[in-house]
Amino acid sequence: MTPRGGWVGKILRVDLTTRRITESSTFDYVPKFLGGRGLGAKICWDEVPPEVGAFDPENRLIFATGPLQGTLAPSSGRFMVLGKAPQSGPTESFCRSGVGGHFAPELKWAGYDALVVRGKASKPVYLFISDHKAEILDAASLWGLDTYQTQQMLWKLHGQKTRVMVIGRAGENCSRIACILTDTGDASGQGGFGGVMGSKNLKAIAVRGTGAVAVARPKALMQTTRRIHELFARKPAKGNPYEPEEKGFKYNIWGGGYGRGGLSLLPGELQDLCNDSSSGYSQTPDGCFACPVSCRSRVKGPDITGGVAFCAQSYMYLESMIDEPEKGYSKITWQAAKLSDLLGINAYELMAIIPWLADCFHEKLITEKDTGLPLGEIGSWSFISKLLNNIADRQGFGDLLAEGGQRAAAKLGGKAETLSRMYYPRAGKFGGYREHWVYLGGFPTGYALPQLALMWVLDNRDALVSHSFISMLWGAAFTVGQNALTAVPEKISPVLRPVMKAAYGSEEAAEFLQPDGKSLNWKWAAPVVKRYHEHSLLKDSYVLCDILFPYLFNANSLDHVGDDTLESRIYSAVTGVEMSPNESFQKGEMLCTLERALAVRDGRTRQDDIFHDLYFEKQDAGGRRYRREDLEESKTEYYKLMGWDLEMGKPTLATLQRLGLKDVAEDMVRKGVLRS
Amino acid sequence: MAREVNRRTVLKSLTVSALGLGSVVAFGDLISVFALPDGQKVALARAVILADMSLCSGCRICEMVCANLNSMGRNSTSFARLSIEKDYLKGDYQPKLCYQCAEPPCLKACPVDALHVDKKSGTYARVVNEKVCIGCGACVEACGSHFHPSRATFDAERQKSIKCHLCFGDPQCVKSCPLGVLRVERSKKGLLVGYPVIQGD
Repeated sequence: MTPRGGWVGKILRVDLTTRRITESSTFDYVPKFLGGRGLGAKICWDEVPPEVGAFDPENRLIFATGPLQGTLAPSSGRFMVLGKAPQSGPTESFCRSGVGGHFAPELKWAGYDALVVRGKASKPVYLFISDHKAEILDAASLWGLDTYQTQQMLWKLHGQKTRVMVIGRAGENCSRIACILTDTGDASGQGGFGGVMGSKNLKAIAVRGTGAVAVARPKALMQTTRRIHELFARKPAKGNPYEPEEKGFKYNIWGGGYGRGGLSLLPGELQDLCNDSSSGYSQTPDGCFACPVSCRSRVKGPDITGGVAFCAQSYMYLESMIDEPEKGYSKITWQAAKLSDLLGINAYELMAIIPWLADCFHEKLITEKDTGLPLGEIGSWSFISKLLNNIADRQGFGDLLAEGGQRAAAKLGGKAETLSRMYYPRAGKFGGYREHWVYLGGFPTGYALPQLALMWVLDNRDALVSHSFISMLWGAAFTVGQNALTAVPEKISPVLRPVMKAAYGSEEAAEFLQPDGKSLNWKWAAPVVKRYHEHSLLKDSYVLCDILFPYLFNANSLDHVGDDTLESRIYSAVTGVEMSPNESFQKGEMLCTLERALAVRDGRTRQDDIFHDLYFEKQDAGGRRYRREDLEESKTEYYKLMGWDLEMGKPTLATLQRLGLKDVAEDMVRKGVLRS
Repeated sequence: MAREVNRRTVLKSLTVSALGLGSVVAFGDLISVFALPDGQKVALARAVILADMSLCSGCRICEMVCANLNSMGRNSTSFARLSIEKDYLKGDYQPKLCYQCAEPPCLKACPVDALHVDKKSGTYARVVNEKVCIGCGACVEACGSHFHPSRATFDAERQKSIKCHLCFGDPQCVKSCPLGVLRVERSKKGLLVGYPVIQGD
């Protein structure tokens, strides 16, 4: 069934080597591959073979929207950046990175569902896209500018309504941890696609569109949108945008423990200033396109760099709070976040690099002299400004760190490498991503949970970035008066029973422990993780925001059961294509297998779905541990459920054919990856 | 922003500053206060949408709800009857709404009486009758000579002018704004708002 709405129909293709600009049809890929992450995966399958490296001109840098971008659909400001990722390591492989803000709708209104960039310009250029037209323009005067300055220059040239994706000096210097930023704080960080953009000599992409996206069923879209607004946001009490008008209403993001603007400041110097209306500082909720929540806060003040920040940036330099504890979250904490944005460095990766450097310094594995960094002053402005500038310019030790924490650690080797494993749990050839181990269940700081372990080992990047499962755990924790850091599995299980029945098909799935409480219950790991992957693929392909979807935990109802049919309902309303939740899960399964095929083609096997020994050795806070044989058994069960070969973890021919991926199967046979 | 109150047209009215919004709203005693050149009276609007800019998070839901409902599913801020002017670096968000002017320049400029007062819904909003509109764009130009951007805009696909009609009494943007930025001010006596009370912005 051809979609009647949601798509504008064209994919813009730009070859920077030949300066050729062409268009292809979006309907070569959709509705089969849905959009966003699925669309990008298929383009990569077709066009980026294993021998193409992340920084090779032949790598594709893909900016893919989904059917919902440019419409009223809640949180449809998000889209995906995809391609062969320089951050994945030691093997560069396909990866995805989501980004919010206001760029995606503008691209759609300009007439393009996606942008695929290949080749390498002979000198710095930027791309200007406006209403069915694209131009490659000279960026000599933009090269070297920070991300804010570049955007200001482009707004002067092309108008304030132009939205821009831009790299900073880190991207220009092909750092593997460079991000692509839009506006003041929305960034595609993980994957290191800023470096890919830099390797193509592409400084920025500016878009302005005045067209529209047709919606098949505007009334149905309005109805579902209103329902979602009611679930996630209520108008604030008069005058206070952080407080809902309905007493006790919880905003429902991250299980309801967080509110509007809940992603920015922690208590301390800066928050105090913002709360004092005479100080000239302020903090206000700031919304991505079409999002009812506005989870980010915008911070302004006379002597700070204004803008919005997400958790990654906001909490990147919490070391500053330890350095000057009396100040708490200080101006320095904020300025560090903004400096990483201005230089275009992925703040999430810095959350691993900085504590790892501190560990290495304490163990006397690195010194101030040989790194040229004031390591004795981690937490200070002098440390962070030196570190970030050195990384962005690849100066001295910064050159090594620009390769990302995991690669830098491998180069140093020995104990420095061992210490890095605390932050980069996945062993094997497809690591390179700091995991979200500070979350509930985040072994080794908290409790071990079988589902989390299986998610970690199977993903192409940081597994828990799709917040749905974690949000659900947090929601249960808040309900029983605990929080993300203090939650205990035994205490939250009862709350989770009905919730997990609705989300994952079984009440028993909420039992994370064996009845004796002494070991973990792995029985439900595989089926839960399969559904988690389906949810995640769908959310990234429609493209909706991680923080809202899938909506599994209702903080405002008695049974707390969420509703994971919302996404398919919006999809149907926008495109006019019927999509039952079950059909959508099958799509998710297909896309998950396609991504696995991409990884397998790059050399991934069952052996790469593993984490470092550390995680089997340590006991969690409840005296339990992950056992290697349990994880292996759970992997086997997952592969079985997915129809992948048990020995190697490769999708089988029969599975690929069953899922409608015949061309992928034939390709794999031709390349010798699968036997016919 | 110069906001000169034109006393000439304020008949025994009380001028109040609503919510510190900067917009000046006046409640007139008389329903009709000014006449077109041909002597025809234009009744004051009985409802208008006001915005508290200090609360706006710039999510643009208002624009999208408007376009989705009022432009037959063509989702785009280009087809919205209100707009948010944004400075993304400074975070200065300004919802730009139709004032439903006391002396509507758009209505005055319309050569074919497509622009009229919506008495049927009771809002007395200044609305475009699409069947009559010839797409000359005079209303867009007239509004644009006072207000930026022009609150009446041009739907190039359909060659018609479009402007805020207060959703015939139940403005959907106000309903959907998640931050309570927008509200409807109503008065049976009519509201002395927009031009010439506010001569431009």
